[in-house]
Amino acid sequence: MKQHLRKAFLIGGTALMTLAGSASMAWSQEATFVMSTNEVGAPTYNPIKGAMLNIATSMLYDRLVVQDADQSYHPHLAESWEEAPDGMLWTFHLRQGVKFHNDEPFNAATIAAWIPMFTGTDNEYLVGAIDKVEVVDDYTVKFVMKHPEPNLLYNLSSVFMGIPAPKAYQELGDNFGVTAAIGTGPYKLETFAIGQETVLVRNEDYKWGASLSENKGPAKIEKLTFREIPEESTAFLELKTGGVDMLLAVPTDFIGELKKEANVEVLTLPGLDVAYMPINVTQAPFDDIKVREATAFAINQKEILASIYGGVGSEAHNFLISALPESKVDPKFDISYDPARSAKVFDEAGWKLGDDGIRVKDGKPLNVKLWTQSDTEFKRLTEAVQAQLKAVGMNAEITVYDSSAIKDQYKKNEHQLAVRSYNWNNADILDWFFSGERLGYPNISMWNDPKSEELDKKALTESKTVNERIANFKTYHEYLLSQFVFAPIYQPVQNIGYNKERLKLPAAIHSIQIDAISIMDMEVAE
Amino acid sequence: MLSYIVRRLLLLIPVFFTVSIIIFGIIHLVPGDPVDNLLRIGSTPEQKAIITARYGLDKPLVEQYLLWLGNMAQGDLGDAIVMRRPVSALLAQNIPFSLRLGAAALLFSTLLGIAAGTLAAIYKDSRIDQSIMAGILLGSTLPSFWLGLLLILLFSVQLGWLPVSGARSWQAIILPVLTIGLGGTALVARVTRIAMLETMQKDFVLLLHAKGLPARRIQLRHVLRHALMPVVTILGLRIGWILGGAVTVEFVFARPGLGTLLIKALNQHDYPVMQGCLLMLAIAVMLGTLIGDLVQAAMDPRVRQAMT
Repeated sequence: MKQHLRKAFLIGGTALMTLAGSASMAWSQEATFVMSTNEVGAPTYNPIKGAMLNIATSMLYDRLVVQDADQSYHPHLAESWEEAPDGMLWTFHLRQGVKFHNDEPFNAATIAAWIPMFTGTDNEYLVGAIDKVEVVDDYTVKFVMKHPEPNLLYNLSSVFMGIPAPKAYQELGDNFGVTAAIGTGPYKLETFAIGQETVLVRNEDYKWGASLSENKGPAKIEKLTFREIPEESTAFLELKTGGVDMLLAVPTDFIGELKKEANVEVLTLPGLDVAYMPINVTQAPFDDIKVREATAFAINQKEILASIYGGVGSEAHNFLISALPESKVDPKFDISYDPARSAKVFDEAGWKLGDDGIRVKDGKPLNVKLWTQSDTEFKRLTEAVQAQLKAVGMNAEITVYDSSAIKDQYKKNEHQLAVRSYNWNNADILDWFFSGERLGYPNISMWNDPKSEELDKKALTESKTVNERIANFKTYHEYLLSQFVFAPIYQPVQNIGYNKERLKLPAAIHSIQIDAISIMDMEVAE
Repeated sequence: MLSYIVRRLLLLIPVFFTVSIIIFGIIHLVPGDPVDNLLRIGSTPEQKAIITARYGLDKPLVEQYLLWLGNMAQGDLGDAIVMRRPVSALLAQNIPFSLRLGAAALLFSTLLGIAAGTLAAIYKDSRIDQSIMAGILLGSTLPSFWLGLLLILLFSVQLGWLPVSGARSWQAIILPVLTIGLGGTALVARVTRIAMLETMQKDFVLLLHAKGLPARRIQLRHVLRHALMPVVTILGLRIGWILGGAVTVEFVFARPGLGTLLIKALNQHDYPVMQGCLLMLAIAVMLGTLIGDLVQAAMDPRVRQAMT
C-alpha cells in the first residue's frame, strides 16, 4: 500500500514538475512591451476608420509595401509592382498562399473590395488619387489613377493601409477593430482594453513575412502584450524591475539612468523628429527677412546637441529628417550657426548692439516673445535657445503653454518665435507647416507667399514620378530655407530600452520603428 | 425622516444643473480644439470643417450645451470625438476600477484613521500622540503623485514585493490604495481623536469608571462607539474626495479608471469624455454628501428638525 502511495506521489510529482516546466517555457515565449506615450489611448484597431493607431496594428494587418529604416520601399503582400511612365497606372503582383486570421483568402478581390472601403472616411485621402481598382487575375491588380501620385508607395506602407479581411469588416461594422480585428498579420488579437493593454497571440499559420524580416513566420514570440503606461517614470521603473521587457520610446532624460542598469540595453534607431524654431513672419521685427536671417544663424545646433542631448542625435540644418532625399538640398541653403553672419545682418537691418548687450533700433530694444510647451525637454531646449539669442543681442522672453493648449494659442497670432518639434518622414510635411491654407496652426510661421504656394502645389499635386516629386520638393524646401521662416535645431534619435537578458534582437532593425517587421525576428531568451 | 429625504433629493436638482453648466463652461473655455487631434498630416482645411460640423462643434455654445443636456436626459452622453466610442461605454469600462480602488482606499484610510485617532486620544499629549499626529500630517501633505513614486521605489524596486503598475493582479491595487489612503487618513484620525477626547469627559464615562470597569475596556467598547458617530458622518463626504484623489494616482500607477480616462480626454480635448468623467465625479460628490447628510439626520434629530 505504502509503495503504491509512494508511486502515486512520484507520478503526481513528476506530472506537476512537467506541467510547471511547460508553464515556464510558455511564459518564456511571452513578452511585454510598453507603447510610446503618444500612442496611449488609441481607441481602435480599425485601419480604415482610425484617426490614431498604435504599433500593435502592424502585428495584426500586413501591408502591400513596407518601408526600411533608410526610407526605401520593399515588397510584402505585393511581391512586385510597376508604375506607368505617366504615373496613371500602377500594377501590383500579389503574394499567393496568404490567408486572413478567419481563413478568408487574400487575393486580387480583396484589394478590389478594400480600396473602396476608404470612401467617406477621414483616411480617404490616402487612396484619393486612385480612380478604380481593376482585377487582372487572382493575384494581379491595377490601380487606375485619377492623377499621378508618386507618394502612393508611402501611403501603402502606412499602418493605416494594413489590409483587413473584407467579409469580417462588413459583418462586424463599427465593432471591427474593437471587439475583433482580422488581418493577415503575424499575430491575432486576443484582448484589447483601450488605454490599458492589448494582448496578441501568434498566428501559427503565418509564413509570409515581409522581405525585410529574416524570419518569414510564424513569429518566434508566442504571446505579446502591449501595455499603455502614460507616466514615463512608471514605465521606466517597470523595465528596471523586469515588469516589462521593452519600452518602445525612452525619453532622453532617462537614457543615463537606463544605461546604469546591468540588464537593460538601449537601442538607437534613426529618428523621425526634427526640433525647430518657427519664426512668425507677420510680427515685427520678423517681417524683415534680414532679422529672420540673423535670428536663424544665431542658433548653435552643435552646442545644443552637446549640452542638452549629450551628443545623442544629430544637428538639424534644414527642415526634413536627413534620411529623406528631399533633405539633401544645395548646401548653400542649409542653416548653420554663424554668429559673425548673424551680427552682420542684424547691423544691416539697423539693429545695433546696445551698451547692455541688447540690440536697439529707433530707440527700441530687441525684445521678443518666445513660446514653448510645458514638457521638460522643450523647456530645457527653449532656455538654451533663449541664451543663444541673448548672445547675439536679442532678449527673448519665454512663455510656457500646456502642450495640449498651445496649438490654439498659435491661432491667435500673438507669438513671434516658438520652439517645437514634429514627427514625420515625408517631405509633404513642408506643405503641412508652410502652406498658406493653414495659417496659425500648423503654419506657425504664418508664411503665405505666392511663390511658395506655387512651389508647394507643384511638388504636392503636379509631380508625376517619384524623382520629379523629390526634385520639386527639394526646390520648395530650398525656397523656404532662403526665406528664413524657421531655424532648424536638432534631430533626435529613437531610443528603445529593453531587457537584454530576456529579449534577443536581430543584428539590424529593418523598419522605421519597432514594428511587426523587427518583432518577427525577435525572440525571448531561454 | 421621509420628508427630509425628499427635500434633500429635490435640492440635488438645481445643484445638478449648476454643476452641469460649470463643467460645460470650464471645458469649453480651456483653449484647445479636439479636431486638431483628429487631423493627420495631409488633411485639408475642408476636412477639418467637415469633422467640426460632424460633432456639432460649429454650433453656438448654448446650443451645444442644451443638446448635451437633452441627450443626457435620454441616457445618451454622446460619442467620444477622438476615442470614437460611446462615452457611456468608456465610463462603464472604467468606473468599476475606480470604484474598487476608491472603496478599498476608503476602507483602509477609515480603519487606519480610527486606529490612529484612538491611540492618539488614549495616549493624549504623550510621544505616541505626537508621533501619530505628525506622521499623519506628513502623509496628508505629501503630493499623491510623489508619494506614489516613493512607494513604488520602496515596495517594487527595492523590496520587489509588489508590481509597479497596472491592474492585472490583486497585488497591483495595494500601492494605489496606500497612496490614496495615507493621504485620507489624517481627517479620520483627527475627528476620531477629538471625538474620543470629548466623549471621555462625558458623565457616563465617569460612571463607568466609578463602577470599576477597566479603563481600556471603557475606552475601546464605550467611548470609541460614541466617538465613531462624527466619523461615520464624514465618510459620505469623503467618497467624492477619494474618487477625485484617484485621478492622479491612477495615472501614476497606469491603472484603468475614471482618472486615467479623464487625463487622456484632457490631453486630447475630447469634450464629451471630459464632460462625462467630470459629471460622474460631481455625481459621486453629490451622492456622498447626500449619504453623509442622511446618516447625520438619522443619528441626530436636531438636523432633521432644522431642515423641516
